[in-house]
Parts: sequence; C-alpha cells; structure tokens
Amino acid sequence: MKKIKINIEGMDCASCATNVERSLKKVSGVKEVSVSLIGKKAFVEIDEKTDPEELKKAVARTGYKAISIE
Amino acid sequence: MEHQYNGMKKMSEHNHSGMKNMGHEDHDHSAPVEDSEIRNWKKKLIGSWIFAIPVAVLMILMRFFGMELFNEQISITILLVLGFPVVFVFGFSTLKSGLRGLFTFYFNMDSLISLGTLIAYLTGILTFVMKINDYSGVAAMIMAIFVTGKYIEAKARGRATQEIKKLLELGAKNARVLRGKEEVEIPVSELKIGDIIIVKPGEKIPTDGVVVKGESAVDESMVTGESLPVDKTKDSNVIGATINQDGILYIKATKIGKDTFLSHIIELVEEAQGTKVPIQKLADKITSIFVPTILIVSVLTFLGWWYFNGELGRSLGVAISVLVIACPCALGLAVPIALTVGSGIGAKKGILIRKGEAIQTMKKVKIIVFDKTGTITKGKPEVRDVYSKVKENYLMEIAGSLEKLSEHPLSKAIVNKANLKKYKDVKGFKILRGRGVEGKIGKKIIVIGNSTLMNERKIKLNDLSEKIEEFENRGYTTVTVSENGKAIGIIGIADGVKEDSVKAISILNIQGYKTVMITGDNERTARTIAREVGIKEVIANVLPEDKAKKVEELQRFGMVAFVGDGINDAPALKQANVAIAMGTGTDIAIEAGDLVLARGSLMGVVAAISLSKATFSKIKQNLFWAFAYNVVAIPAAIAGILHPIIAEIAMAASSITVVMNANLLRKKRI
Repeated sequence: MKKIKINIEGMDCASCATNVERSLKKVSGVKEVSVSLIGKKAFVEIDEKTDPEELKKAVARTGYKAISIE
Repeated sequence: MEHQYNGMKKMSEHNHSGMKNMGHEDHDHSAPVEDSEIRNWKKKLIGSWIFAIPVAVLMILMRFFGMELFNEQISITILLVLGFPVVFVFGFSTLKSGLRGLFTFYFNMDSLISLGTLIAYLTGILTFVMKINDYSGVAAMIMAIFVTGKYIEAKARGRATQEIKKLLELGAKNARVLRGKEEVEIPVSELKIGDIIIVKPGEKIPTDGVVVKGESAVDESMVTGESLPVDKTKDSNVIGATINQDGILYIKATKIGKDTFLSHIIELVEEAQGTKVPIQKLADKITSIFVPTILIVSVLTFLGWWYFNGELGRSLGVAISVLVIACPCALGLAVPIALTVGSGIGAKKGILIRKGEAIQTMKKVKIIVFDKTGTITKGKPEVRDVYSKVKENYLMEIAGSLEKLSEHPLSKAIVNKANLKKYKDVKGFKILRGRGVEGKIGKKIIVIGNSTLMNERKIKLNDLSEKIEEFENRGYTTVTVSENGKAIGIIGIADGVKEDSVKAISILNIQGYKTVMITGDNERTARTIAREVGIKEVIANVLPEDKAKKVEELQRFGMVAFVGDGINDAPALKQANVAIAMGTGTDIAIEAGDLVLARGSLMGVVAAISLSKATFSKIKQNLFWAFAYNVVAIPAAIAGILHPIIAEIAMAASSITVVMNANLLRKKRI
C-alpha cells in the first residue's frame, strides 16, 4: 500500500471535489481518497496493483485533468 | 494578485544579475496555478461585461422605464446578439463542464448555471415563434455575474492559501559549494548529500545540514516560529531555508530535495487540507446529492407553476431562479477554506495541523497530559551533584564506563560528567529498560539505576537513603551506583525546565484545563518539578510502555490531549484524543501527532489550542451561514419572489462570503 498525490486542473467547485472523490473510489485497489478542493490535489491510498493510468482516467471522467501523479 | 505576480517576476529576474541577492529574494520562477486561474477569470470578467453592460442598460430602459427604443422583436434580437458572446464565448468552459456533468451524471455547480442560462437564452429565441416572456438578457446577466463571482472567489481563495504559497517559495535557489578548493555556485536541485556548502552572512541556508566549520546565529523564525536567532557552532544542525545572520558557516548537506524539513512541512500542510473535520460530514453528504436534487426541485417548481399559474414564461423564470440560486459551493467550501486559512496561519508560527479532526476534538479536551522529559524540561539532563562513599573519581569511572554503552539521556549526562579518557572494559552489559544498567568490570558486578532496580536486586541503601531523599527533594533524578551488591554512591541528575514552561502551564491552568505531568521519575523528584512549573497532578514511576495505559485511565474523566516529543511516547500520543507532538530543531516525530509543533516551546501548545478553537469556530460560522443561506434562498426562489438576476447575485455573494469570512481568521490574535 502506498500514498500518492494527484495534482488536478480545473476543479473549482465543491461538488467537483466530491465528484472526483466518488470517481477515484471506484478504481480497483483504491483504499482511501481525500480531495483537497483548495489545494487542487487528491491524496489517494492505493495498493501495488493499482494502475496510475486508471486513476488519471477516473479524474478525466469527471471532466478534469490529472496533471501529475507523485 | 496580478500586480503581485509581476513584482515577483521582476525580483527573480533581478536575481540573475548577480550573487549579491542570493538568499533573501529567491523565488520560484514558475507562476502558481492559482494565479493563472485568477487571470483567466479576470479575462472572462472583462470580456463578458463589455457585452453585459449594454444588455443591462437596455433591459433597465425597457423594463423599468417602459421605454420603447425599438420595437419588441428588434430589442430582443439586440439582447440575443449581445448576450451570445457572454453566454457562449466567455461562458464556454462553464457550459462545457456543466453539460458534460449532465451527460456523465457527475453533476456539478456548472450544470446548474449552464441549464439556467441556456433555458433563459432559449426563451429569447422562442419569442419569435410563440408568446413567451423573454429572459435572453437575463441569461447574459447570470453568466456575467457568475464569472464575476468566480473571479472574486478565486482571488479570496488565493489569499486563503497565501501562507502555504510563501512556504513553497521559501527555499533557496542556489547554493555555493566547495568543489576541491574552489567555490562553485550550483542550483539547489543539484546538491548532493555530503556536499560542503558555504553560507555567508545574510544568505539563506540552502538545505538541511550540519555545521562543520564556523559560528553564527541563524534566524529560524520562518520554519519554527522561534523569534530569536539560534546560535550555531560546529556539529549544530541547521534547517534549509533559514537565514544565516552574522558569521560564515560551512555546512555539510545531510538532507536534500524531498527529505528536507521544509519539504516535510509543506507536504504535511497540503495533506492536512484534504483531511476531513467530522462536523462537515453532513455538509459533504448534502453537497454530493445537492445538484441532482436541485435539478429535480426546479423541474417540479416549473411544473407546479405551470399547472397553477399557467404562464409558461413566468414558470420558466421561477425555475431558472431555483437553478441559479442553489449554491453547493458555499456548503462545500465552508469547512475546507477555514481549515486552509487556519493551517496556513499555524504553519507560519510553527504549528502544523495534521488532521482536521483534531481541531474539532480539541474543543472537548478537558485534560492535558505533559510528558516530562523534553517537553516540560529541556531534555538535556546534567549531573548536578554526586555523593560518594568511595573516591568520587572511582565512582565516576565505573559509572561512566557502563553508561557509555547506553543511549539513554541520563547515561549521557553521567558520561559527560565523568569525562573519562579511557573506559574500563565492561563484560555482560545489559540495559534494564526504565530501571538502569548492569555489567561486570573485572570480577565486580556493577548495577546502576533507580530505587526500583536496587530493591529488585536487594541492594541495601542504608545510610544513602537519606541522601537520596535530599537529592530528590531538590528535584534531581537520582541514580544509585552499586558494586557487588553494595551501594557505593549516588548521582543526582537534573533536567532544567524550559524557559516558558511555567508561563504556558499557568495560562492553561487559568483556561480551566486540568494539567497533568507523566514521567518515569520517582514521585518526589517529579513533584518538585511539577511544583516548579505549576502542575498539580503528577503520575510518576511510569515505564515508557505504560504511559498509554495511564492516558486511557485519565480518559474516563474526559477527553485527553497528550503533549510529548513523539519519540518515546508514541503509544501514549496515539491513545490520546488529541496528540500534540513537539519537535526540537530538525527532529519532529511528524507521524505521531495530530498537531505538530516545530518549536520545542510549551507556548506553542497554548497557541495551537487557541488556533484550533478559533479555526473550529470559523468552521461552525461558515457552515451555519451556508446552510442558512440555502434554507432561506431556495424556498424563496421556489415561491417566485426572487428575480433570476437577484438569485444569481445572492448565489455569488454566498460563496464569496464564506471564503472572506475564513480569511477573517487572520485578524484573530493567536
């Protein structure tokens, strides 16, 4: 299990943040998600099998862009 | 904000001109995302009002003064033409995100605004084919006001995060390192561990390290909140981004990049902002179903009005009001924005809020437990007195030789005092946790430790007991040295109380907290120190592993905050309702605390508590305001007493108010 940080672009309202959270939670292997609307970041706990690309797609599904994953 | 950014750029350009300004004015070159967002909204704001102002003038003349400048159809055409760029050009990104939300079922705030403006705009077109109220001008006004609100909100949000942005810009850009005999200036990103860095007076220390040569005072206020410069000599640890004052320091880099103290702090603060405060649960739940609910409510409103009122245009107008007045943003922002401002203010003062939950729990805390060593006291024990029945030199020689093998702070104090050139050979050395040490020197069995250990080994103290009592009454931790089952002397060790421990504890006592000190020391020593700082309740003779249990016992009487250094007392911190971990210099046990203090002063605890309380009351204010707004505004819109434009103004104002109210936290003295 590890913790990663996703920088997200374009997310600027409260319901946006809950959408991103909802979408990221659906990715397999994701344990915990907390989205900081103000910091424009998502903190995600994932296990080894989780594909970072899937996380990017999950963000994209809600209409925003994952700029980088750390 | 725009202006500030320009100023910043100029400064960094200036920096390239030479080394003179290295240090103080180092700034990050890349413009923060926040600023580009504000610029973006500003562009849209100006663009949309160029068209929206004529729309407003025309609407006022037509509706309020009943002037007929042109015939009805031409007026509407003009409104549609002027409104087009506002809605479809400057509102493009909002429409795109909103409509996408509608189709993918990830509804958001934009979905409501998009529907509202599109329906309003459509009524204008429909006037050509049927009789209907025209809201095309309203569409342009809604979008223009929405954009304006977004701009103001983005600016206020920028202010809310200013402390964190400052942290990000705090690090130095360049470092002067020694390569062979030459001094070379390199970017900080190219530093390696072990590099020797030269820092001249007035310059910023580029990274964490240890002083290898030179003496100076360093201003660490920007990372620890400590206002007085800290003296640094050989072997002192230094923190990157702090400012060297008056001497040249040669520093060996020990941590670089992501591992530095500053990077840790930044990461911590960023992460904390994503954490939840329990009180926001309801707000979050509502936010997540808010938009779809409002969509349904507005459809029902429309149908209801149409059924009872029969006027299609009027019914649409009311439904538009409902769409645009509903504001999930104020609800969703209420907590995180206040938490952001609070944690930003804290970070500047060396108080790191790691978990949002802690600030809510803090309000209910009744009991504050302090670990003694390193928290109330300096954590640097020194030998204050020795009483020996044999030659003192001999006593210190055997004590020093044994204690040399232990890492315990008390052992270090003894070793320092003994100051031996040669240590005796020790066989069968053993550390007896929480009690002492034992070993053999030659054929002699040496046992050194506290009274518990002496009792265990049935070592008679005889006439030493009186002396021990005297030492303990003076507040010394007393260690007995025994040889072959006979006590031969005692060593009195004391750990000075930190300068502001007394002040901090008296403030907490006045505020009504029950203050408790917990320590492994014996009762008498502990009481002396507790009396000195003003703590009434003492839990003494506690082994490190039992501290958590003691905290649990105290929890029967109320919520407990535990203040400790996070190194020996991690389990106790974990057990407490609020864990306050104190750092000393570069070592912070970050993971151990809900609230982490970068500086070792107990006044930090006072500040952390008052910051938590102030932040939490802001959170409550914001939530109340956001709930009240929606509870009043939505029914008013359904009742049809709010014009869509007024509704949109109210909506924009509500989320701006929440952000600005959070910014007011800065006015509070912590």
